[in-house]
Amino acid sequence: MLNLAVEQSDSVLSADELAKREGLRARKPYVAEKLANIHAMEGRGEISPIIRLEKSYLCNFQCTHCSAEYYMDRHMEKVLHVKDERKKIDLDDIRKLSKEADELGLARFVITGGEPLVMRDLDEVVAAIDPEKHYVILDTNGWFLDDEKAKHLKEIGVEKIQLSLDSFIEEDHDNFRNKKGSYKRVMRAIDAALDAGLNLILSTVLVKGRAKTEEFLEMCQYCTDKNVGLYVSYAKPTGSCTEHPEFVIEKEDADVLRQLEKDYNVFTHMTPSYGSHKGCITVKGIITVTSTGEVTPCPYIDFSIGNLFETSLKEVLDRGMRNPWLGPHRPDCLIGEDPKFIKIHTEKTAGATHLPLPWGEGFSDNDSLTD
Amino acid sequence: MPETSPLFDEFGRCLPTGINAPAHQKTRRYFLIDKPDINYSASYERLNQAFSISDAISQEQYESRVTSILAEIADNKLMKPILNGAMAPFILPKAVYDDIGQAMESTFLPAVQSAFNSFFPDYDFKNHSPRSLNGQLSVAPGSRHQQVLDQMANEVVVGVYFPCLSEYSVPAAIERMATLPEQFSLAGGFDTSAAFVSMPDLLFRKEGYPPLLWLSGLVSTEQNVAYHFEAYGYDLTFNRRVHLGQVAEYWSSGLVMIG
Ligand SMILES: C[S@@+](CC[C@H](N)C(=O)[O-])C[C@H]1O[C@@H](n2cnc3c(N)ncnc32)[C@H](O)[C@@H]1O
Ligand code: SF4
Repeated sequence: MLNLAVEQSDSVLSADELAKREGLRARKPYVAEKLANIHAMEGRGEISPIIRLEKSYLCNFQCTHCSAEYYMDRHMEKVLHVKDERKKIDLDDIRKLSKEADELGLARFVITGGEPLVMRDLDEVVAAIDPEKHYVILDTNGWFLDDEKAKHLKEIGVEKIQLSLDSFIEEDHDNFRNKKGSYKRVMRAIDAALDAGLNLILSTVLVKGRAKTEEFLEMCQYCTDKNVGLYVSYAKPTGSCTEHPEFVIEKEDADVLRQLEKDYNVFTHMTPSYGSHKGCITVKGIITVTSTGEVTPCPYIDFSIGNLFETSLKEVLDRGMRNPWLGPHRPDCLIGEDPKFIKIHTEKTAGATHLPLPWGEGFSDNDSLTD
Repeated sequence: MPETSPLFDEFGRCLPTGINAPAHQKTRRYFLIDKPDINYSASYERLNQAFSISDAISQEQYESRVTSILAEIADNKLMKPILNGAMAPFILPKAVYDDIGQAMESTFLPAVQSAFNSFFPDYDFKNHSPRSLNGQLSVAPGSRHQQVLDQMANEVVVGVYFPCLSEYSVPAAIERMATLPEQFSLAGGFDTSAAFVSMPDLLFRKEGYPPLLWLSGLVSTEQNVAYHFEAYGYDLTFNRRVHLGQVAEYWSSGLVMIG
């Protein structure tokens, strides 16, 4: 999903992290410089969110929990019987976004979806983002990530892979992902990514109670031994996961995980990283740009804070930062933990055919925490 | 002009009346401190461990001075509802410190750390502040925090800390002082630290999240930066942060009454 372990401050870096950064500085000095600046920007109260780019929602899986399912043509056409006639972003729009983001000091893009490795124009999208200007990360379910693909991704300028593995028990992962053989493909993808010299983290969904299981501890241990970060994404009740409110964690799960961070190479989007203590990263740490140019403040919140076809990125970010739900700072996950916000989100998105809800219909400048 | 309209709501939150700086008029009471019971004997033990005050004040004297502060509040119709909220009594040693930041680093934060560690052997207190506090902190104009430091210069201080300025920006907390009864001051570094020595579990919450507590009685040499205590899960942290004068549902400041 996201990469919080990228450059913030050089003061407390492991030797391994330092080596990675020096490598990046040698290859892509402009990107390295921008990443190094993020720490100072945050110190001044400025923001430099990662941009998750969802150009396509095509996917070869149909996972139990997928937040993107309701954005997919297969859902809109077969379940909702609607056709998405909204204007879609193209490569020129991505070039424009890359430039606008660069001018604001933003430095990181995650190509996500859907499944990026089924996108026909993936190489063009990477080029449009411009890997000489931005640190490019790719989310994947790993199915198509073999040695050849990994080398190719490295060659076109991708720096990092975020690979989804939702259980360390093969059968459970395959069942959750509704795809037999997917665990084995993830294991293959781990080696392929590392052998190709790509940075790698594993991304795993935390459902209620999992933090205390043997399986989860084994996964933490595996990642720690392998020196691969384990990014933990709390199950958010959106998309297909709306049907699984029982997945939503309790504070205890989050607190157990906070303790595990001390002993294992495991983290969430809210884990302090190299001097950055953002808490919930909506807008401050991440935004998502959907295929229709909408900007959402978090991958799992289906309320837009503006559309890039109409509003500048700067204005969209300002709107987000002045919204009381998203605003300057909170320690918990808004859509993963706050019952009131979850309720509002579930009610407002219920029955919606075209997500995200546009600015004004989900979020607006009139939002109040107490209404 | 002192106020005659209500100062605190039924849960002890200081009402953000008559201020221009950002503060939420209403609260949904999401970031909360569970009102802990006061255990005077354990609190005194920890405070004595930290500040060696047993020659100057006994546990009985501590308890009776806190009780009289609370009685004074209870006697005043406007102030009384503050007692419905969380509070932590504390003792501060008789001392004068030329440099507040240095004293925080050398005395008060280590005191919080050892009190926290002995209370919660499995959890940690961490000072995340990225730079030394030496020379960084002074009393915020308008905060009345100087009252606490002046009294510390003369004697051992007994006081009560009330984290009741919830959902106030740092400037709003300072602005609010102008119309609060003069017995109140805005909490700074020493008093807030002593409150955590007294009650290391002040921000410990299992079922929900507690607020972040600013030391709004102090200003930093860096503009728009302030220091704070904050829980991280079951751990307690101290840190610096840019606040830009903004309000957040998660941010609170504290009042102190000494007596
Ligand atoms: C939407 S997927 C897209 C990339 C790719 N197809 C994959 O599965 O990794 C991005 C990440 O979001 C996670 N995710 C999807 N739905 C989620 C939900 N409801 N709650 C938490 N994480 C979710 C996935 O597990 C995956 O790690
Ligand atoms: S989580 Fe990823 S792999 Fe699974 S359906 Fe969603 S987009 Fe596809």
